[in-house]
Amino acid sequence: MSRRERASSVTRTFRAPRHGSTAQVSSRITSTPRALTSGRPPDPPLPLESLFDTAPEAWVALHVRSSSNALAHLAEIAGGFTSRVSLEPPDAVLLEVRGSFRLFGGARGLCRQLLDRCGAAGYTPHWSLAPTPRAALVLARAGQGSIVLARDRLVGLLAPLPLALLRWPDEALERLDSVGVRTLGAALRLPRAGFARRFGPELLLSLDQLTGAAPELRRPVARRERFRAQVEPAFELQSVALVLQHLEPLLKDLERFLRTRQCGVDCLKLRLQHRKHPPTRLDLRLATAELQARHFAELLSLQLSRITLPAPVLRCELRSGVLQAFVAQSESVWRPGEHGGGAGRESPALIERLRARLGSDAVYGLCLVPEHRPERAFGIAEPDTAPPRSEPPRSASQTWLAVRRPLWLLREPEVLIDAPQTLQLLEGPERIETGWWDGREVVRDYYVVRDDSGAELWVYRERLPPHAWYLHGVFG
Amino acid sequence: MGQATCDTTAEPSLERLLEHPAIWRGRSVAHTATLSTGCTRLDEALPSGGWPAAGLTEILTARSGLGELRLLVPLLARLGAQPPPRWVVWVSPPFEPYAPALIAAGVPLERQLVVRTAEPAWVIEQSLDSGGAALVLAWLAPGVATSVTVLRRLQLATQRSGAPAFLFRPLTEATRTSPAELRLVFEPHVTGGRVQLLKSRGGERRPLELRWQEFSLQERDDVAS
Repeated sequence: MSRRERASSVTRTFRAPRHGSTAQVSSRITSTPRALTSGRPPDPPLPLESLFDTAPEAWVALHVRSSSNALAHLAEIAGGFTSRVSLEPPDAVLLEVRGSFRLFGGARGLCRQLLDRCGAAGYTPHWSLAPTPRAALVLARAGQGSIVLARDRLVGLLAPLPLALLRWPDEALERLDSVGVRTLGAALRLPRAGFARRFGPELLLSLDQLTGAAPELRRPVARRERFRAQVEPAFELQSVALVLQHLEPLLKDLERFLRTRQCGVDCLKLRLQHRKHPPTRLDLRLATAELQARHFAELLSLQLSRITLPAPVLRCELRSGVLQAFVAQSESVWRPGEHGGGAGRESPALIERLRARLGSDAVYGLCLVPEHRPERAFGIAEPDTAPPRSEPPRSASQTWLAVRRPLWLLREPEVLIDAPQTLQLLEGPERIETGWWDGREVVRDYYVVRDDSGAELWVYRERLPPHAWYLHGVFG
Repeated sequence: MGQATCDTTAEPSLERLLEHPAIWRGRSVAHTATLSTGCTRLDEALPSGGWPAAGLTEILTARSGLGELRLLVPLLARLGAQPPPRWVVWVSPPFEPYAPALIAAGVPLERQLVVRTAEPAWVIEQSLDSGGAALVLAWLAPGVATSVTVLRRLQLATQRSGAPAFLFRPLTEATRTSPAELRLVFEPHVTGGRVQLLKSRGGERRPLELRWQEFSLQERDDVAS
């Protein structure tokens, strides 16, 4: 809190006169942090505002005087109360809690539990609850510790607070100070058009966001949770089987961790530490997100069977990749292909098993590339584990596909020595002359020929000297 | 069926008994599920009218790329389009399967899975047992010694899974014994190929000369147009 903020100590004598009839009620709602944290405030009757006339949102601001590390920690605590947590660097965390009131016993109960959790973690933040994030922030910076649910009560509460709490640029604050505008209330009373002209539309927007006249979009904190566990057995593990046995409880923990979050992972990293050798690392990549310990154990055992341990294992570390939403699917009664039973999990499971043993490069799918150079007209693709589309994608240029192409292509064209004598010409030439723009120009005449054993081949002749003949494909 | 046996006055009940798929008599045709080859004459020549739907088929050629893959293209196109989406696994193909040609032949690319491996037998067995493969095509390198036991395991795997597997092997293996359900030799011929059955449960053992035009090309034209 800056000196200016602290200098104007908070007074709560201001009441908007037009709310005189409910002023008594509203004074009950606002309370101090002392009253909450002391534990035993007398439970007042339910405020009228909680029954009607409430804003659609309720933001809690937690304001601390510590490092950004504290913010991350507070955000984590806040994540236990709502999914909408937002950071206000350098010193505040905002959380939208309107939907969590019922679960935590109303606004008051929620704030009490939230502060208890913060206290247990060693933080005593200034806090406030207000219908707009900016108002909650300002009230927390002022050290208010108040709960305001109705938007029309907000202005009355904000009006006496010093303008510096908004943290506008010093230059603007000084100019406002020189004309005698020192409180939020005074700033709100200024003519809008003139204010915008003198101080810019951003500051006007900031005032509007304060009162809720303009919405404020807040970027939620993206929480990246990972699973991380390790086991240090009482003795050195000599064999892969023992390693697997010790990994089992970790995998069970992982499954529990994932189940409570309804998530799965598609990547697992295993690190086996040895005494003198560098650690052995294993990366398990799955075709789809998975959460079953049994499944992980099976794939890990396949992958471990590929390697030999350089030395006994001292410690096993297991880390998961990013959690992904996991939707469990019921399995078919029938085997795939039987009575029209679908292959739900089987298709990705096959790829995972093959990759676990052979490495991920050894298993791939095929795709079509719109390109005239034959060696570039196809590509290696990640196997398509997505559910099939109703309409298979067709290439745009059907005429291009109508040209006869061999079923097999040689990875590297093979030079043919005195080819034309032994080959019988069937079709051709088909001239392919393209690719001058990327330095891999091809200038070729392609022919379909039959060799003396009767096989149909796809050969080409370079149109540039030395006019060599190459074998490029086989019509297998 | 069964007319070639010596007992021409068999009781009808005996006839029915002999039709049981577990009973296989020399020249009679055992009734097994088959998949059409897309060529009427080849269907007629093969026992039960097509490729074994759940069995191991060996295709022996002098070398790779003589046209043996074209025998299977109609099957690839048809199986790939069948509703439960499953992989067509290519185990250690000798060259790169060329995507434009496969698309033009109506083979759905997104169901093809290529596996490069030094242990093809393991991959074939895993693919079949997983239930995720509709069809397995495998090329066993000439150098790799493939014992009868391994082939027997593969044949059993195809029967367990109910999916066919096709092994492409060099012609030199023709003299060795094999537990495959169907073995045939393929050699190229003018605008087609010559198929000679080596081992089959029934069917004709005469060499059969096929032309590529017979392989339901109208289906291919439909896709390409």
